[in-house]
Amino acid sequence: MDFTGEIMKKVAIISSLKQAQDLKDLVTAFILPVQDYSINFPNTFTFDEINEIKAIGPDVFLVMNKSIYNEEIKVLTKVLKQIEALNIKGIIFYDIAFIQLKAELNLKTDLVWAQEHLVTNYETINYWYDKGAKYAYLSSELTKDEIITIKKHSKAKLFINVFGYIPMFTSKRHLVKNYLDYFNLDQKGLKKHIYKEGKTYPIIDDNHGTTVFSNYILNILDEDFLDDYLVFNSTFIDEKEFKKVLTDAHNFPFEHGFLYKETIYKVKKDE
Amino acid sequence: MNKPELLAPAGDLERLKIALLYGADAVYVGGSFNLRANADNFSLKDLEKGVAFAHNLNKKVYVTVNIAMHNKELEMITDYLKKLDKLKVDGIIVSDPAIIKIAKDNTNLTIHLSTQASTINKKAAAFWHKEGVSRIVLARECTKDDIKIVKDSVPIELEVFVHGAMCASYSGRCVLSNFLTNRDSNRGGCSQICRWDFDLIIDGAEVKGEKPFTFCSKDLSLIKYIPELIDMDIDSLKIEGRMRSAYYIATIVKVYRQVIDEYLKDKNNYKYNLEYEKVLRRCANRDSVAQFFDGNFGKDTGYYNGRMEITNQDFLGLVLAYDKKTNLMKLEQRNYFEKGDKVTIFGPNDEFDLVIDEIYDEDMQKIGIVRHPKQIVYIKVPKPVGEDYMMKKALDKTSKV
Repeated sequence: MDFTGEIMKKVAIISSLKQAQDLKDLVTAFILPVQDYSINFPNTFTFDEINEIKAIGPDVFLVMNKSIYNEEIKVLTKVLKQIEALNIKGIIFYDIAFIQLKAELNLKTDLVWAQEHLVTNYETINYWYDKGAKYAYLSSELTKDEIITIKKHSKAKLFINVFGYIPMFTSKRHLVKNYLDYFNLDQKGLKKHIYKEGKTYPIIDDNHGTTVFSNYILNILDEDFLDDYLVFNSTFIDEKEFKKVLTDAHNFPFEHGFLYKETIYKVKKDE
Repeated sequence: MNKPELLAPAGDLERLKIALLYGADAVYVGGSFNLRANADNFSLKDLEKGVAFAHNLNKKVYVTVNIAMHNKELEMITDYLKKLDKLKVDGIIVSDPAIIKIAKDNTNLTIHLSTQASTINKKAAAFWHKEGVSRIVLARECTKDDIKIVKDSVPIELEVFVHGAMCASYSGRCVLSNFLTNRDSNRGGCSQICRWDFDLIIDGAEVKGEKPFTFCSKDLSLIKYIPELIDMDIDSLKIEGRMRSAYYIATIVKVYRQVIDEYLKDKNNYKYNLEYEKVLRRCANRDSVAQFFDGNFGKDTGYYNGRMEITNQDFLGLVLAYDKKTNLMKLEQRNYFEKGDKVTIFGPNDEFDLVIDEIYDEDMQKIGIVRHPKQIVYIKVPKPVGEDYMMKKALDKTSKV
């Protein structure tokens, strides 16, 4: 896909202020994982940094996709009020507390329903639209046909992962730390992977728990059905490579994930 | 303080009956749209029988409809929900809110929110209450305090897992099966990749303990904490395991029934009975701990055993009949036993030990060893036993197991 001259809603999940400066002319919006409120991202942003990036130009969506515990509600309420003043495009959320708090606090900031692997049909997207989520962030486990049908019937504006590693597994448990502790292994390295049957999967274990990512970098930018918010995720990707992909997707091998691969399951027919 | 419901899994009609007879107040079963596609699951005919059986005992049946729907399931779900409504099931357990809307628009079904929805906090609970959900099955990541805060803040029924296997991830937040085996974990195809072993690589080098790296966690058991949960006014105490055997269901349900009843009977003089813990441990094939409930999810909650799980061989047979004239119990074998073995015969409200003295085969020939799975034999038993009784190895009271 050649982006030259087109009005494409390219949004980039970035890792640093410097990267924001570098990519400002290539994207419609930045997606910024918020410190203490986002998971699946090795790099997050403070509110000072968010303010700086906001001034650079492109729109800003914030990621606040961790599960929210009762003791965090009070502070979260204050934070949401602060965000209201930032005039950002929207908050990408997982926990349903965000829907409730938006209603209770009468917040104007839009919400992006992003329950990772559960955003799989248009009726549920429309349900959350009616509850206050004007955007929905599609699961990466959908086929092309499913996405096209969702696009046809959804009231919400859609986010679609088009480039980057895909989170496959998120746990509250510190799975790497627990393993190292259990067997008294002293290993403080930063770059972690797990390996099985010839495939390597990035894994992070931070304050919020553990996330495991796909063994491949998704790149579906050769597809012609994409006219939504196209998400480019820079996590674990070299900054120069990432910029090249934003300029021209042909700079990176294509990988279609589940677009043409329907998953197997069983729904029994009742007699 | 209310008496909480004891809720048990039922993979099929036989296990539904066992669970209810052994003390469960309600069962949950899988229908056509649930997260255990590889369990037997209930046809509508079986469900009708199950509901009739339960209602006759003044007990309840809930049906799990907890998949994350894709577009094509939307076409089938309305008709299915209408059928469940007609069967008068006591509730459906859902995670996809589109099903809540469809159920409310088309049926009178009572709606419970599945643990797949990962409800952890009072604000999310308040939202679901407003949406007309009757009960929330809380996320297994909840601590005791989380449960209490939600209970004290929102007037909604709460269901808490007290026993069984754990997801290594937040429920619903795992598609390892999709990526590694092309099976959709959120539509019932979970292939338990979290129990696989992996090589752990840090900065390019393998890091290896005595056992391989895995996500696998120990099972959950809150048997010690049942009095606390009762005092917190939790509405339903849930046992996991729709794929588990009738023996497992009978044993676990019976123990939890006893603990609940003993505590409610005399709260002030209740004492935790270590024997129950032994029975639970013997029945399971994996270690169990309190997991997130007591706030501890560190290294000792992981299950690093190289996938070695001990197959339980305590269950010796299922009682099929008893002849009062001959004192012979008809039994279907499940594990090896022989003449002279000390066994325990147990039913919903009865349990006694016996040293096996006389065994006969189907031709009424005396035999000494019963080695074949599902072999039918007759054993001399001095007192009557029911068709829903079972026989197991006698527990060594001195054992620390």
